[in-house]
Amino acid sequence: MVDRFRSKPLELPDPEQPFARADLAFYDVDHSQGSFEVRVFLGARRGLRRDAGTEDAAYAGSFFVFGHERCHGEEGHCDVPTDRDPFDFRLPHHLEPGLQLLTVTDAVRRLVEAGKRKAPVDALVLGPEGEALKALEFSHLRLLTYA
Amino acid sequence: MTVAPTSARRAPVRVRHRRDASRLSKGQLAELRQAVSRAQKIGDDRGYQYWAGVHGLPLPRYCQHTSPLFLPWHRAYLYFFEKALQDQVPGVTVPWWDWTSRHGQGLPPAYGRAKTPNGKPNPLASSPIQPAGRREASEKRTWRRRRGSPAPFPLPSVDRVRETLANRDYFTFQNQLESIHNGIHVWVGGTMGDPWTAAYDPVFWAHHCMVDRLWYLWQLDNPGARLPEAYLDLALPPFEMTVRETLEVTALGYDYAAGTAAVPGPSRG
Repeated sequence: MVDRFRSKPLELPDPEQPFARADLAFYDVDHSQGSFEVRVFLGARRGLRRDAGTEDAAYAGSFFVFGHERCHGEEGHCDVPTDRDPFDFRLPHHLEPGLQLLTVTDAVRRLVEAGKRKAPVDALVLGPEGEALKALEFSHLRLLTYA
Repeated sequence: MTVAPTSARRAPVRVRHRRDASRLSKGQLAELRQAVSRAQKIGDDRGYQYWAGVHGLPLPRYCQHTSPLFLPWHRAYLYFFEKALQDQVPGVTVPWWDWTSRHGQGLPPAYGRAKTPNGKPNPLASSPIQPAGRREASEKRTWRRRRGSPAPFPLPSVDRVRETLANRDYFTFQNQLESIHNGIHVWVGGTMGDPWTAAYDPVFWAHHCMVDRLWYLWQLDNPGARLPEAYLDLALPPFEMTVRETLEVTALGYDYAAGTAAVPGPSRG
């Protein structure tokens, strides 16, 4: 779990190929911790301020996780099953990691128009009082563009 | 609005309207308070504590989050809760909190003020939490981020919601709407910030009514768009309802109105 994250530079769309929309998809986002905001920045310089927000030129948007916080059952109640029987028709475990889709069209367009070909994604994780919270975990992220 | 009769032997029925929580008439607000207050005093499965507990504590936890069933499950939840309120005060409906407007006021005054105009405790401002619903034994009532303490981020803008409503794919729309919804839970904070206890806070219902309304608006813009067929006959436990049965709000007996006004007609002699 991390309270901030900086990705390797992501390849931006080719300026010759116009797009109508761009989404950042965060896959397998954990929601077993408390509730939090993830502020996402695209193309920020290294050393992004901890309290950077919407006024920052690299700010692309936020997504929010309604976190589970802690288990109120007995031992094992909140363990996500690793193996699922193909005939198990119950709904998925409530702590299965999820997808977070953030539309970042304007931010991507700004970078492409400025001639950038790659840009890192920064994520700052803030708890309910705006405090840094080590709660972010996901498997990978992808920039998706749509014509 | 009227809908077709539910049986060939019955006349068309009028649906009830859910309204903006900041635009309720004095009478509408008084009835809502009366319904919630009465429900809060009932200790069995007709009462407020029972319905609040369905979401999280006490176990089992039924709520659907980060799930394909997020919107249908919460629509069913609101429906059954509203029915429980209507058992107390016939005709009352859950209002929505439009968190895209009046950002300066924060919570709608109907939910934010601790007392009613006549000085009584406001049942929409807080609620007791049953012992089995508490995260800590000392958490006997709902609580929120202190009034006046700075919010960690602004409430969602109209543009953000428009952008979400512009999605044409159901799951993309739901995913982004759920994220906005998550932010409101965090923004209110306290009991609302945790899925185990969120539904004990009376503003939970107004918040989810807004979420449900946005799904309804999206449905109006995207006729026929819905979850894939494979999901439609899934049950939404603990409710006696399937996903398919949640798809049309007027079939559930309600509609959303920006405002309503009525005058009596000539009596039928």
